[in-house]
Amino acid sequence: MERKCLWKKTGVILLTLTMTAGLLTGCGGKSSSSDPSASTEKKEQANDNDASSASEGEKVFYYGDTTFNAENDEPDVNPHYGYSGWACIRYGIGETLFKYSDSMELEPWLATEYENVDENTWTITLRDGVTFTSGRALDAEAVKECLDDLVNVHERAKGDLKIKGMTADGQTLTIETQEPVPALINYLSDPYGCIIDMEAGVTDDGNVSATGPYQATKVETDKGLTLIKNEDYWNGTPHLDTIYVKTITDGDTMTMSMQSGELDGAYGLPYASLSLFENDPYTISSVETSRSFYGTINYESEILQDENVRRAIAGAIDKENFTRVLMNGNGSPAVGPFPASFTFGDSTVTAQEYDPEFSKKLLADAGWKDTDGDGYVEKDGEKLTIRWLTYPSRQELPLLAESVQATLKEIGIDVQVNNTANHLDFVDSGDWDIYASAMVTAPTGDPEYFFTTHCLDDSTVNWGGYHSDKLEKLEEKMSIAFDAEERSELATQMAQTILDDNGYIFASHLKMSIVSGEGVTGLTAHPCDYYEITADLDKN
Amino acid sequence: MSMEEKITVRKQKVVKSHTRQKLFFFGGLAIAVLLVAAFAPYLTPYDPYEQDLSKALLPPGNGHLLGTDRYGRDMLSRVIMGSQTTIFSALLLVVIITIVGGAVGIFCGWHGGKLDAFLMRVSDIFLAFPGMVFAIAVASVLSGGVINAVVALACISWPKYARITRSQAMMIKHLPYISAAKLSGSGTWKIVWKHIVPNIAGPVIVTAVLDIGTMIMEIAGLSFLGLGAAPPTAEWGSMMSNGRSMLQTSPWVILSPGCAIFLTVIIFNLAGDTVRDVLDPKQRKR
Repeated sequence: MERKCLWKKTGVILLTLTMTAGLLTGCGGKSSSSDPSASTEKKEQANDNDASSASEGEKVFYYGDTTFNAENDEPDVNPHYGYSGWACIRYGIGETLFKYSDSMELEPWLATEYENVDENTWTITLRDGVTFTSGRALDAEAVKECLDDLVNVHERAKGDLKIKGMTADGQTLTIETQEPVPALINYLSDPYGCIIDMEAGVTDDGNVSATGPYQATKVETDKGLTLIKNEDYWNGTPHLDTIYVKTITDGDTMTMSMQSGELDGAYGLPYASLSLFENDPYTISSVETSRSFYGTINYESEILQDENVRRAIAGAIDKENFTRVLMNGNGSPAVGPFPASFTFGDSTVTAQEYDPEFSKKLLADAGWKDTDGDGYVEKDGEKLTIRWLTYPSRQELPLLAESVQATLKEIGIDVQVNNTANHLDFVDSGDWDIYASAMVTAPTGDPEYFFTTHCLDDSTVNWGGYHSDKLEKLEEKMSIAFDAEERSELATQMAQTILDDNGYIFASHLKMSIVSGEGVTGLTAHPCDYYEITADLDKN
Repeated sequence: MSMEEKITVRKQKVVKSHTRQKLFFFGGLAIAVLLVAAFAPYLTPYDPYEQDLSKALLPPGNGHLLGTDRYGRDMLSRVIMGSQTTIFSALLLVVIITIVGGAVGIFCGWHGGKLDAFLMRVSDIFLAFPGMVFAIAVASVLSGGVINAVVALACISWPKYARITRSQAMMIKHLPYISAAKLSGSGTWKIVWKHIVPNIAGPVIVTAVLDIGTMIMEIAGLSFLGLGAAPPTAEWGSMMSNGRSMLQTSPWVILSPGCAIFLTVIIFNLAGDTVRDVLDPKQRKR
C-alpha cells in the first residue's frame, strides 16, 4: 500500500517537473541572432500557406501592419474604393501624380510639372518612361481613364476634384473643373489619386496594375498581401524580391512577432511596447503627423444640442495627460484639427481648455444638477448619459474612451462606451452621441480637405449633421482662394468656427512610429502617414 | 470484533477526521473569498475606479501593494473589487444552471415520454458544440456585458445538470418509498419537493461547487475576449486583457488579476473536492 502511494507521489512530482520545464522552455524560446536559419524557418512556417516560399538568395521582407482591413475601409488595394488607396500607396503599389516632401510640400512624381492656365483649367505634364506593371506605358490617356473612373465611383474624390472634363494629348493632360478648385493638385496627391491602368482593370479581389516599386500578387482582406518586385520600375531598382504584408490587429501579437524575428518591420505597435525596441538591433522611425483623434458631436442627440453641454464636455477632457501618459508621449495634445507644425495649425486657434470646475458650472447653468446624490447630474429626472462610440483598431481610441469616461464622471456625466469594430453600422443607425475616431486631417497638406469631407452640409462624412452658416460662407471663399496665405487664414477661421461651436472635440495628434528589425534600412515614417514601403526599403 | 475489523474502523475514523479538517480548511478559505467579494467596496484601500494619471504604472510598493495600472488606479483595490464581479457572476451562473438544468432534468426523469426525448435531444445539441466557442457566439450576438456573458454561459452549461438530475430522478422514482408516497396520496409536487429533490441534491451540489472554479475561468475568459465586463468595470478577465500589452514592461498589471483567478479557482476546486468527499463518500479516493 505504502509503495503504491510512493509511486503515485513520485509520478505527480515528475509530471509537475516535466510540465514546468516544458512551460519554461516554451516561454523562453527566443530566436538567437546567431542562428538566422531558425528565424527564416519560423517565417517560412508562418507563411506555409503562401505558394511562393523564399528560394535561396531571394530577399524576402515581412511587414506587420494593423491597418489593412475592412474595419478601416481598406479591404483591398483598389484606390477607387473607400480608403483602399492608402493601402495601395502605403505598400508601394501605386503612385500619385505629385507627392509630398518631408515638409509636406508638393514634389513631382508621376507628373513632372503642372500649370494653372486659368481658374478652372490645369495642364499636367507626365513623366516619360513610366510603365504600369501590366506593361502599358503611362500617358495622358491612361491617366484620364483612371481619373474618369475615380470620379465616377468615388464620392469623396468626386466632391474634391469637381472635374468637368479632361483632354489627353500625349504626355499632357488638361483638366477642366466645374468651379475653381485651388487645391486640385493636392487632391490629386491624395492616396485615391494613385494612377492605375484601367485597361488592366480591377480584379475580383481588388488588385490593380499600377506604377510603384512593388506589385501585389495576392490580396486577402483582413489577412494581408504578397508583393513582388516591379522589375521595370522607373525610379531605380527595388531591393527586395518579395514582401509579405501581414495584417495583425492585435498589438501584442505584433510585438511578439517582432521580438521573435517573424517580422522585419512593423507599424502600429502598442505604445507600451515601443520601449522594447529602443535598442539594437531595432530602430524606431518616428514623425509628427496630422492624424488626429477627435470626437464628432451628434447634433441629432437632443442633449448635445445644448451648447453648454457640448462646451462642458470639451472642457472636461484631459488631453494633456491622455497624450503624455496613455499615449506614452507619442503625440501632442490637440487644440484644433491640425498640428502646430502647419501654418494654420494649433498655434493659431483656441479651444475650451481643460477646466472641470468650469464645466460643472456650465452644466449647472444648463439645468443639470445632481439631485439624487449618485454623482451624476440629472435634468427633469433624466440622468446625463453620453453614448461614446469608438473602435478598437486604433489602439489610442479605447484608451481615450476610458480616460474620458473617468474625467466626465468627475463633472457628473455618465459615459457609456461602445467600442466596436462594427462602428460604421452604429454611425449609420445614429445610435451614438459622440463618435471618437482617428483621421489624417491634412493628408494632402491642404486644410480644405478636412472641412469639405467632414464639416459642410454636403460633406460625405459629416456624421454628426454639423451645420454652420459661417463655415459655409468661409468655405465659399476658400473654394476660390488660390493664394496660400489666404488659404491658411481662412483655414484658421474655419477651424476656430467649429471649435467655437464645439461641434468637434480634438484630443490629440499622433506621432507615428515604425519599427525596423535587424539589418533593415529605408523604412521611414513620413508626416503624411501613407508613404511606408518604397524602393529604398532594403534588408541586409 | 476481530483485529482486522478494528483496524478498518480506526482507518475510517482517521479518514473522516481528515476529511473534516480539509472541509474546514478549504471551506473556510472559500468562505473567506466570498466574504472579501461581498464586502469588497469596504475593503479596498483606494477607489478602484478613480484615475490618477500622475501615478500611472507604479510598480508594487510605494503605497500601492500591487502597483497601479496605466490609468493610475490601484491594482489591489481593483483586484478586490474585481472579485465581486467575477465571483458573484460565477455564483449567479452556477445557481441559474443548477436550477434550470435541475428542473429540466427532474421533469424529464419523472415525466418521461416524448417531451423527455425532445428535451434530451436539445441538450444533446448543446453538448455537441464546443462549449466556449458556442458561448463566444452567443455573447457576441448579445453584445457583451457581464449579464450577457452569464446568459451565454448558462445557455451552454445547463444540459450537464439536466443529465445528472434526470438520471438520478429516474433511478429514485422506482424506489419503494416513492411508491409508498404515491400510495399514501402525495401529489406530484409534494413527491418531487419532499422526496426527490433532497435525495438527488448531493451529486448536484458537488457538481455545482466543483463548477464554480470552471465558471470563474469561463467568465474571465469571455471578459478577456471583450465579451464580458465593459470598461471601466473591475473584472479579472478584462483587467488581464487590458494589461496584455504591458506583460513585458509592467507585468504586475496582468499578474495581479491572473494570480487572483489562479488562487480563487484552486480554492473553489479543492473546496469542491472536499464537499464531494463529504457528500459522496463512494467517490472518495481510497
